[in-house]
Amino acid sequence: MDSIRRDVLDFYINLGTKVIDESHDQDTTDLDKCILYIRHSTLNQETSGLQILATGALGGRFDHEAGNLNVLYRYPDTRIVLLSDDCLIQLLPKTHRHEIHIQSSLEGPHCGLIPIGTPSAKTTTSGLQWDLSNTEMRFGGLISTSNLVKEEKITVESDSDLLWTISIKKTGLSIQDHTP
Amino acid sequence: MNLFFFITHILCRTAKLRLCADGGANRIYDELPLFFPHEDPFVIRNRYKPDVIKGDMDSIRRDVLDFYVYWGTKVIDESHDQDTTDLDKCISYIRHSTLNQESSRILATGALGGRFDHEAGNLNVLYRYPDTRIVLLSDDCLIQLLPKTHRHEIHIHSSLQGPHCGLIPIGTPSANTTTSGLKWDLSNTEMRFGGLISTSNLVKEEIITVESDSDLLWTISIKKTGLPVQDHKP
Repeated sequence: MDSIRRDVLDFYINLGTKVIDESHDQDTTDLDKCILYIRHSTLNQETSGLQILATGALGGRFDHEAGNLNVLYRYPDTRIVLLSDDCLIQLLPKTHRHEIHIQSSLEGPHCGLIPIGTPSAKTTTSGLQWDLSNTEMRFGGLISTSNLVKEEKITVESDSDLLWTISIKKTGLSIQDHTP
Repeated sequence: MNLFFFITHILCRTAKLRLCADGGANRIYDELPLFFPHEDPFVIRNRYKPDVIKGDMDSIRRDVLDFYVYWGTKVIDESHDQDTTDLDKCISYIRHSTLNQESSRILATGALGGRFDHEAGNLNVLYRYPDTRIVLLSDDCLIQLLPKTHRHEIHIHSSLQGPHCGLIPIGTPSANTTTSGLKWDLSNTEMRFGGLISTSNLVKEEIITVESDSDLLWTISIKKTGLPVQDHKP
């Protein structure tokens, strides 16, 4: 609660928003605290198809951004998507072969696979402009950036946890006011 | 304080070479005159023109290109080379230029934020040229590589930097990192994604030391100091 303005806090409390003061816990980031809350909430247990969308986690101070990327690595069994104006990021754990369905009206074509944290000795993909085939990826060498999605379905299999990132289209959707 | 102000008033005075990628040229052309609202934009654009514009030339506007070419900026069209990023092309140019010396340092802006794959590609440039001192600058922070081959002493300019800082093992985990001068120092501490990484740390001393078995990214926040814009006429 060190950033919230008094008038903002009063407004939301008045409308029924639940406020949980965690100022005693300085060891975890804001995103961390939110993810923990969701993981422990009853909603999470009911819906196995739950996906968490988080905005505001990218850009700004790089140590903050890195800490937020680390949240994806620390909870690999929870599906978390980080969203910014320009792109989305999600973790592809090494334990699975992944099939990513591209919603081309909203996403792409620019994409990448980033071996943050550990190098990958072998990654194989399909559906990209420059597919990987048991290819090694590491910082200091090759990482897949400025790639393009070619198909509607991308597959990725790797010996290492990877970050998948794809650009978000500025679609110019008109804002419609649905008054009840 | 906007980053562009920092660039023009501090860096442009001491830089041996001013180089930008073609998209960056548009920004310099459009935005620098905004910092000097009482001066003729033409004068400002000329005073702070880059020495070189290098890139694949797919982003630069025709009027911007014509202006800088006319006033003597060297333009290098690399559109045939699609395999390297703009930052890559600029770093290569500098490394091969006669101006580059062991003591040279490269400051790069515009490499962070935006698309994450671009940002990751730019961080990778630091890892691919560990013997070249490159600093990535944004409005909020700077980032530089601390190669594992050396014990590092970082001098903090506390009027411009800090206190927020971090050490990030982006490419490989670290089994052993030791620091001094931070609020939460590390002592042969293991760091890895999925576990502990040093973020939201604070600089406590004027000299920070770091020694690690792994290449680390050092990052420190930039202060918004509100320096006044002063016009230094020659």
